[in-house]
Amino acid sequence: MSNVNRTELATADSTTGDLLSLGVLGAAVLTFVGSWLLLLQWVDEAATVAGLPVLNLLGVGLVVIGGGLAFVGVGSRLDYVDTAPSSTAGVVVGAVFGLLWAILGGLVGTLALGDATVLWLPVAAVFGIGGFLGAVLPREDVGSTIPVAAILLLLGGFIVTGGIGAGWTWSPAWSSAEFPGSELVPILVVFGTLLGAWSAGKAKEGFGAEGRQAGAYYLIGSVVFAMLAVLALLIAFIVTNGLQTMLTGTSLFGGRLTVPFVGVGLPWPEFPFLMNQTGGLYVEIPGVLPAVVGTLWLVFGAVSFAVPLGIGAAVFLTEYAERGRFTQVVEIATNGLWSTPSIVFGLFGLAFLVPRISGGNSIVVGQLVLGFMLLPLVLITSREAILAVPDAHRDASAALGVTKWQTIRSVVLPAAMPGTITGVILGVGRIAGETAPLLLVFGGSPYPSNTPNVLTSFTLTAQPPFVTNEALLSPASALPYQLYSTITAGVFPKEIFTNTEFGWGTALVLLLVVVGLYAIGVGSRLYFRRKLHHE
Amino acid sequence: MSETESRNSTAQPEQRVTTTGESSEEVREAWTDYQFAGDAKIAAEDIDVYYGEEKALQSVSLDVPDESVTALIGPSGCGKSTFLRCLNRMNDRIKSASVDGSVTLDSEEIYSDGVNLVELRKRVGMVFQEPNPFPKSIKDNISYGPRKHGDLDTGLLARLLGRDDTDEEHELVERALRRAALWEEVNDRLDDNALGLSGGQQQRLCIARCLAVDPDVILMDEPASALDPIATAKIEDLIEELAEEYAVVVVTHNMQQAARISDQTAVFLTGGELVEYGETDQIFEHPRSQRVEDYITGKFG
Repeated sequence: MSNVNRTELATADSTTGDLLSLGVLGAAVLTFVGSWLLLLQWVDEAATVAGLPVLNLLGVGLVVIGGGLAFVGVGSRLDYVDTAPSSTAGVVVGAVFGLLWAILGGLVGTLALGDATVLWLPVAAVFGIGGFLGAVLPREDVGSTIPVAAILLLLGGFIVTGGIGAGWTWSPAWSSAEFPGSELVPILVVFGTLLGAWSAGKAKEGFGAEGRQAGAYYLIGSVVFAMLAVLALLIAFIVTNGLQTMLTGTSLFGGRLTVPFVGVGLPWPEFPFLMNQTGGLYVEIPGVLPAVVGTLWLVFGAVSFAVPLGIGAAVFLTEYAERGRFTQVVEIATNGLWSTPSIVFGLFGLAFLVPRISGGNSIVVGQLVLGFMLLPLVLITSREAILAVPDAHRDASAALGVTKWQTIRSVVLPAAMPGTITGVILGVGRIAGETAPLLLVFGGSPYPSNTPNVLTSFTLTAQPPFVTNEALLSPASALPYQLYSTITAGVFPKEIFTNTEFGWGTALVLLLVVVGLYAIGVGSRLYFRRKLHHE
Repeated sequence: MSETESRNSTAQPEQRVTTTGESSEEVREAWTDYQFAGDAKIAAEDIDVYYGEEKALQSVSLDVPDESVTALIGPSGCGKSTFLRCLNRMNDRIKSASVDGSVTLDSEEIYSDGVNLVELRKRVGMVFQEPNPFPKSIKDNISYGPRKHGDLDTGLLARLLGRDDTDEEHELVERALRRAALWEEVNDRLDDNALGLSGGQQQRLCIARCLAVDPDVILMDEPASALDPIATAKIEDLIEELAEEYAVVVVTHNMQQAARISDQTAVFLTGGELVEYGETDQIFEHPRSQRVEDYITGKFG
């Protein structure tokens, strides 16, 4: 299509500025990742790459980014690079840069002149005003690159020349804390690279509206990255600490599965940490089986108590009750109940339920208390889900001569099911990890030597209540409770683990159990959703 | 009614004189007094509808004959949909609405206290403006009504007891879909979700769903207004076919549509009054009321 004239709408495919900004962006990403590796201590700060200490390498990264930005900014101003900048970078950018420069000035002032406010404050003020004006007065291409470039060059230069390094510590007089350079430098570099990425993103799209859009995109993207990094860090920490404990004594075929009635033993995977009792005389490798079973019973009981009640109440409030003062009061009450601290529920269970039901800590009271906690969330989410079912469905059903209750059962509830299940998943995640109320109404021996045997403990009696279950009325252990009682106990009864090791193992199992419950919830939500939509 | 018109016009529909000050009430009664052979399937008498304080319908009386298409036309907000919803008491579902007057279906009053709404709505089916199939399979959409009325039982218990109605269900689904001219298009995917159909197919599915309950009367509230011209043509053909068996009442914005498909037309005008009711040809070619003529020729509305 050579006969097409290029207009302002179609800018050149790729320019020097584009390539340069892309390079700067790449450098920023690399430096960003590198400084995180250092911060998380996956790379030792004494390590060297290609003969350079890693800290210095980060400094080099900053200098490269800063230099590149300055080059692009100036190049754009002198029209060597094809861009479409606005007349100014804007007051917001100016304010942010002013603040950054003021902080920088304050730091430099403190370092050079001392801690007295009279000394560093003027320096900070001058730097801040300079940063603000430097960003606001020139055209956008200069205003949003040069202040950044200057900060990065300054900081990178300090790091490369060893002004700030691994051995350097900052010990400000206003605090007894000490900030070692090995931690301070990567943190500073992380912020520096974010700034650089923003600026390079803007430059890559040629400033102007599109540039601002790109800058925002890179900043927001890095926020998502940071959030995922926090999550990954947390999970990785638990896994690395707990895996050793959890896998102790495991083997693929070491166990024996005795086939019922035949009596033949078959090789079977062995998983002592999951399959053994916690206490007991003859247990070699203590496990968390009682706690796993206890947690599952708790969740099962709480869900089967709260879900029917919550959905029923939601149906009444949305389909039957007139919207008015009453529903408002219920709404406020449920929101309040949901934000009530869990220990309060525990205290209520201890004072009200325990004397009336079991006379001591027991599984069933634990189930009820957790059920009370789950109830408001199920109510709130299923209410939202039912309200979201279009009235057209209700009208269509009514016009076919179908009664209200049949409509609710066959049209409204199925359509509201995915939303309700989402609420239950969230709630289960919370109650499965709940510790405080369990301490009061549920927990028994810190190292239980038997698993709650609920299923086979039902007995029939001649007097009311006719059915009793000894196991449900006895205390038990749950994973969070086990974790708490293990790490607060003085010594672990068995030689093989320390308290902390056993605790990490328990934490990992708890994480896996919660993830497993999530998986069940997500699976059933998918099932219902697929039934509703054409997939 | 500020406008007054001559009584002469009732005698000679061709000549309309709009100057003399006769009582508008009497004139209007004559204009809306449409005589037809046979008994009225539905007879509405002096229907007033209020939404809160606001009066949406002013003393509307209208008889609907069986086995024909009755079109209700008029500008937006004239009360034609409100009137339609009176005929199967769907207005009961709107809390602020109150209905005065009498509607009889086969000479039975539907606004008396003892009326079973379930039975009434089984006999008076309704199709809505937006296609609103349930988020279920095509088959389940059709068999939903009969199933809920206990006419079909394919549940586990029925299967165990040997009273399974699966064959009847297939038959009913096929009959309803064929009647709604949808069978050829969907017979190979009856178990697919109805939301995967196109808008026109969804609307015909809604009609089939309504037919599956075997009503006497079908009310349609602008059934083609959300559809493209081809789907609209299909719905129109379908409506004309349905009129061989059912009393069909159609609300529409589209005057050409009313002229094409209906046997008689009732014109509602702003303020919720029925201004003229008569044979469709007469209404469109020789309207008695000046306002109706203005509306039809596009001067107003």
